[in-house]
Amino acid sequence: MLLTAVLIPTLAGLLLPAVRIKNRITKLILLMAVLAAEAGVCVTLAFGGDASFHILRITEGLSLDLGIDGLGRLFIILISVGWLLTGLFACEYMKHEKNEDRFFAFMLLSEGAMLMTALAANMATLYTAYELLTLVSMPLVIHSMTKESVSAALKYLFYSIAGAFLALLGIFFLYKYTSSMSFVPGGSLDTAAAVRDSKILLPVIFAAVIGFGAKAGMYPLHGWLPTGHPAAPAPASALLSGLIAKAGVIAVIRLVYYVVGAEFLRGTWVQTALLILALITVFMGSMMAYLEKVLKKRLAYSTVSQLSYIMVGLFMLSPAGVQGALLHVIFHVLSKVCLFLTAGAIIYLTGKTEAGQLTGIGKQLPVTMWCFTLASLTLVGIPPTGGFLSKWYLASAALKGMNGAFKWLIPVVLLVSALLTAGYLLPIAVKGFFPGGDNDAFRRIHEPRVMWVPMVILAVLAVALGLFSSGIADFTGSLASLMC
Amino acid sequence: MRNILILLLVVFPMASAPAVWLAGRKNRRSRDFAVIAVTFIELCLTILAAVMCFNGEYAADLCGINLRLDGFRCVYTVITAFMWFMTALLSPEYFAHYHNTDRYFLFCLLTLGATQGVFLSADLMTAFLFFEVMSLASFPWVAQDETGDALRAANTYLAVAVIGGLVTLMGMFLLNNLTGTLVIDELYDACKAVSNRGTLYTAGACILFGFGAKAGMFPLHIWLPKAHPVAPAPASALLSGVLTKAGVFGMIVLCCHIFRYDEVWGFAMLIVGVITMVWGAVLGVLSVNLKRTLACSSMSQIGFILTGLSMCCLLGHENALAARGVMLHMVNHSLIKLVLFMTAGAIYMNVHTLDLNKLRGFGRNKPILHFAFLMGALGIGGIPLWNGYISKTLLHESIVEFYAESGLIWIKIAEWLFLIAGGLTVAYMTKLYVCIFVEKNTECQEKYDGIKKSLSPLSAAALIGSAAVLPLLGMTSGITMNRIAELGQSFIHGGELEHAVNYFSLENLKGGGISLAIGVTVYFLVIRGFLMKKENGVRVYADRLPKWLDLEDKVYRPLLLKILPGCLGPLARVFGENKVLAPAGKFIASKLGLIKDEK
Repeated sequence: MLLTAVLIPTLAGLLLPAVRIKNRITKLILLMAVLAAEAGVCVTLAFGGDASFHILRITEGLSLDLGIDGLGRLFIILISVGWLLTGLFACEYMKHEKNEDRFFAFMLLSEGAMLMTALAANMATLYTAYELLTLVSMPLVIHSMTKESVSAALKYLFYSIAGAFLALLGIFFLYKYTSSMSFVPGGSLDTAAAVRDSKILLPVIFAAVIGFGAKAGMYPLHGWLPTGHPAAPAPASALLSGLIAKAGVIAVIRLVYYVVGAEFLRGTWVQTALLILALITVFMGSMMAYLEKVLKKRLAYSTVSQLSYIMVGLFMLSPAGVQGALLHVIFHVLSKVCLFLTAGAIIYLTGKTEAGQLTGIGKQLPVTMWCFTLASLTLVGIPPTGGFLSKWYLASAALKGMNGAFKWLIPVVLLVSALLTAGYLLPIAVKGFFPGGDNDAFRRIHEPRVMWVPMVILAVLAVALGLFSSGIADFTGSLASLMC
Repeated sequence: MRNILILLLVVFPMASAPAVWLAGRKNRRSRDFAVIAVTFIELCLTILAAVMCFNGEYAADLCGINLRLDGFRCVYTVITAFMWFMTALLSPEYFAHYHNTDRYFLFCLLTLGATQGVFLSADLMTAFLFFEVMSLASFPWVAQDETGDALRAANTYLAVAVIGGLVTLMGMFLLNNLTGTLVIDELYDACKAVSNRGTLYTAGACILFGFGAKAGMFPLHIWLPKAHPVAPAPASALLSGVLTKAGVFGMIVLCCHIFRYDEVWGFAMLIVGVITMVWGAVLGVLSVNLKRTLACSSMSQIGFILTGLSMCCLLGHENALAARGVMLHMVNHSLIKLVLFMTAGAIYMNVHTLDLNKLRGFGRNKPILHFAFLMGALGIGGIPLWNGYISKTLLHESIVEFYAESGLIWIKIAEWLFLIAGGLTVAYMTKLYVCIFVEKNTECQEKYDGIKKSLSPLSAAALIGSAAVLPLLGMTSGITMNRIAELGQSFIHGGELEHAVNYFSLENLKGGGISLAIGVTVYFLVIRGFLMKKENGVRVYADRLPKWLDLEDKVYRPLLLKILPGCLGPLARVFGENKVLAPAGKFIASKLGLIKDEK
């Protein structure tokens, strides 16, 4: 079952260009069937018991293994549902792009690699999947083959691979101090030896986290995000920003909480330094988004900022912080995928790319802009949307668990960033719905159903999960207490 | 059953909002009917809930949303529903020539549900949740007209709501961290036990920021005088009458629960309250726009309520008068502003202007308008036998009482400022009254006199119905108002009243008399003198408010839109574009021979 989850999209992705289906409708139906089947498999897996699967042995002590645990459950649901909805949207959107077969093929391959990242049971598997993911998602960025997209894709490749090498360095060192590289909640570090050699080990772990942080857009390796997203087609940006970037989050969680263990880092300079970097990213991302004019680029900077909310939660190294981070993972996936899809719909239907051009867009594309508004409110964290919930947990965790300046700094930075988020998202909705002036100037444009259905599902989920949150709050809470 | 009822108060209007919207897409008349029906059912539900509440308090809990019903909440849910119903009666006629009215009603009903939620909430978290929904859902009201002014005011409103919400949230983080609870009834004991007073005051100030901004507290009142004139009149009535009270609700939680009997907090609130009270009244006197005057008046009246709340803190256990004054002034202000704004709406839908110089003389020979406006003016002016007099007397007496107890000169000054603000209220209401109903318009008086049927029967019923309540309450104060005041005490936590207050004793009439005298003097000396000028041989009202006094344009907008991004933007760019690390990396790499010089 575990292997099937990874194999279905991978094989489908490999077969798609080989088979060459002439009829577009048939092709799309098959594509959707694969994505839906995949979502079905993932949901079954997530609600089933723990499982593991041994793929192959590379050398002594180094093997590729898949396994499912709480964290994996959370992520595979998000991934498979995210891909399903984005795929649906792409069916319409890709009409106006060339080479859609190639796009769909790499989209499926990325899903396979992403699922493998989430289901990896040890560091070797995770690293393999992580590198694969970089390679197969790069063509999504390069898709339009313009000069701009090629350089953006190269930048993505460079940042991700450089980051992964930094991480690999850490993994080499850690290999010596852990009993195995398998993921164990709480880590499997040989504490006595590690404490003795902490002068070496701490900088190495620091470097590894920074390296994995590259994919999650954490300062200083965030540079690829704002260039990569606008260059890619909208469904690809949605996936990159909403989900593929989360591979960095998965990797950091696995490294910090399942290999090293939170105990070892708590109170060290590594924690302080990482928190500072994450807070800088939170602020910098939203400020840059506020200053940015191109909508997709603005959303990309927003991702930089929002992903570091998650990082802040993780680096607090407390159960409450992790819980906030995991909740933010969920709501960021929902709202950011939704936002990128709306941005895509705007580009597809009106051709407008800059935030300043969007006056009256709410009258032209009401459904799209309603989704945009709801997703924005989630991202800002206005109750009762889900974003409020994660912010509440993050800030409470900081006030309760942190000492010194961080106690104040974290909530304040989070709120300032929320204010900036409101500043760069809400005016678009306001101008869109209240253009002023002549009322008949903005004719409604037909919005294709395959475009608005995924957006509506995501937007409604973002709000509804915030309202009825006890289930996911309990789930993330128990997961977090297991990890710390 | 009761739990379902209490939830229904919130859920019913919210759930019916989309239905009303859909009805409006089909047919305007059926939508208008639906709105009236929904608000009427809501009113019936609140009354039913209030009657059932007579046997005691009850509470409801649904997925983290804690609601409860006690005396105060009964009164305010009924008032909220009543005001929505009355404005709904006026709406069909008022909105007859408007665009996008479906949108207005959609958000109108959503806001109704959210506002009920605020008043019903049993903990701060729930209150905050509904407060945010209310703020956002009422945003389209302000923007409804989509004129330049309306959009600008709406943006201000939104910014105040969002910033206020976030600052309040920070306060709640801190409070929750200090006390571990946000349940309103537990906060007094929990906060008393907090030793870290500094942080507690910080938390309080943060929470005050958001709620105060909504209530129109100085210096966060900026949205009020701008949003009211541009919003449709039924919306202004609700904004001013109810939504500001949702802000006051939060302040009651602060003053009567978190900081109950806390003197430091009390003095801080007194300063803010007095400034709000006086400054609002001064702005009201200076204004030459009908609805702006009423908006400034709202600000000033909120100042009166804040002053009363500060007295609740300062007087300790002997705060019976202040607590009753606060409750009654809230109720009175809601009802009075309903009448006044609806009258303003009735005038606006005929003449399409709010400029005092243009609508001058419109009210002559229009008995219904005349009656309604007069009731409102007498009510808010604090004239004996009208309802405003009762609450102002109570508030005034509470200040006198605290002066007698403390002997502080500052309190004496506060008392005088209170009387002066009351006088200014009389002055600006006289200004409006004389302008609309006494003076003649030199240009188009005949046209105005020609408009005989200025109101539809429905609108007239709404006006007369809401206006008649005011003297009715004022004249039966011993029965009705005392009971309303008593109902509020389980929430405001006033002490026991030692003896019944004789509202019409000489001592109490004196305070009202002083205010009245000040008002008449100000009207004749300042308004008729300094605030009027001759233009083409006609004496007209002059706008003498100096532009540099506009806090929004001179301070907030530049600060938020220019200075902060101007300072922090470049800082973010240093990190965002890696202006330090990237060149440094390149430099090191080229020194090591890893990359070749591009030349």
